[in-house]
Amino acid sequence: MTWLDRQSFLGPESDEILSQARIGILGLGGGGSHVVQQLAHVGIGHFVIADSDVITSTNLNRLVGGTQKSVELSTSKVEIAQRLIKAINPAARVSGHVANWQEVSEELRSCDIIVGGLDSVRAKDEADSFCRRFMIPYIDMGMDVFETSPGNFLISGQVVLTGPGQPCLRCLGIVTEEGLAEEARRYGAAGGRPQVVWPNGLLASSAVGLVIQMLTPWNESRSAVAFLEYDGNRHELRQADILRRKSGKPCPHHNEGDVGDPFFRLARLQDSPPKSTKTEYTGTVLPEAEVSVAGNINIFRSLKDKLLKTLFQ
Amino acid sequence: MKVTIKISGRMLDEVRIDLARPHPFAWERVGFLTASAAKIPRGLLLLVDKYLSVEDEDYEQNDIVGAQIGSDAMRKAVQLAYRPKRALLHIHTHGGYGKPHFSGVDLRSADEFIPGLFSPIPSMPHGLLVLSDDEASGKLWLGPQEKTVKVNEFIRVDLHLSKKWGDK
Repeated sequence: MTWLDRQSFLGPESDEILSQARIGILGLGGGGSHVVQQLAHVGIGHFVIADSDVITSTNLNRLVGGTQKSVELSTSKVEIAQRLIKAINPAARVSGHVANWQEVSEELRSCDIIVGGLDSVRAKDEADSFCRRFMIPYIDMGMDVFETSPGNFLISGQVVLTGPGQPCLRCLGIVTEEGLAEEARRYGAAGGRPQVVWPNGLLASSAVGLVIQMLTPWNESRSAVAFLEYDGNRHELRQADILRRKSGKPCPHHNEGDVGDPFFRLARLQDSPPKSTKTEYTGTVLPEAEVSVAGNINIFRSLKDKLLKTLFQ
Repeated sequence: MKVTIKISGRMLDEVRIDLARPHPFAWERVGFLTASAAKIPRGLLLLVDKYLSVEDEDYEQNDIVGAQIGSDAMRKAVQLAYRPKRALLHIHTHGGYGKPHFSGVDLRSADEFIPGLFSPIPSMPHGLLVLSDDEASGKLWLGPQEKTVKVNEFIRVDLHLSKKWGDK
């Protein structure tokens, strides 16, 4: 009997397939932290995780693995995720980067599937384009809370699976010019958007289901594209209508032949690796005080983030 | 160095259907894949973007090996990979199940024609792939004079993301 025995319906080779799978997770906040935890439970063997932030008190209402102590110590979200994964599956290999995912794109190219828990529309668009270029199925998660009238709120969200030859996030209306423009207008505005743990958990669970369905399918009814729309007021998750309209139609935003690194040269294969942003983790579950990130690093990180955001706009 | 090749399920199905067609005199059909490339940590990622089926008339009878492809087929393949620059991968199938192996003829002919691909397309690797009905094997040349490296991982990107080049 193995620790994954209760999921043996996923197939006789499922333990091996899952342990060989390499999953990238972009953003380790409310959605990403749930995904990390569940993928560790199902036995995923390789993680590439990236998030430039440290936990703050306002993350504690939803960040899985976050504690009061980690807030006090300004622990990086990457460190929290690494600790969580290793506590569940010490054999898992975790490549954690306290960085924006764009800085570790070379490593992300080798992922089998990437899951994005990214807040910004621009970041979603970039992640989608990146994944298409390297033929990586991409799963995007997002949630929002809107005030529909004074004192009335709507919780909504979505999980989208897309990939080579499938409708992209622009085709499906997740990334729009209006959304990008609105985001640019709001850039630098103080205050975070409302976020709560239960929709994050539900959307993350659906994303994990899509990952497992692709790696170790357990039934015939599967699709290379999915758009699950969440209505948090009705507590409903359903396939979005737009998917039916867009499914099977060529994506006008990405040329299917635009794959790989257009600047690739054999001579560059032996170039020195890019500067490391990796956080080393020994695999031992240490008390939080021993694995925290020093607070003063955050000043430099914040400056770096601002510079990167400027460059990507 | 770890070498990974990715192909869409749709294209792999197209390749398998094409290679399974009988030819008037050639025992095995061959084709060419073009692939773009990207560096990954400690390795190389090849992303297949096109398949070139070798036309019936581009096969030639050969007293030693029975049949071979002629210079027109090679010219068309190089042309396909020339702009934008792509890796050129010769592909054929041996059928059967399990990890396929290259025959002596496969390896000898590859040693003759693959180094020549670096003249028109020196910036990309080139190689040789062989399929069985459920798996694949591959060898890659990183330069005309360099030792070959084997392809470590074959990924089929489809509804089911598979690390074999067989199952749907």
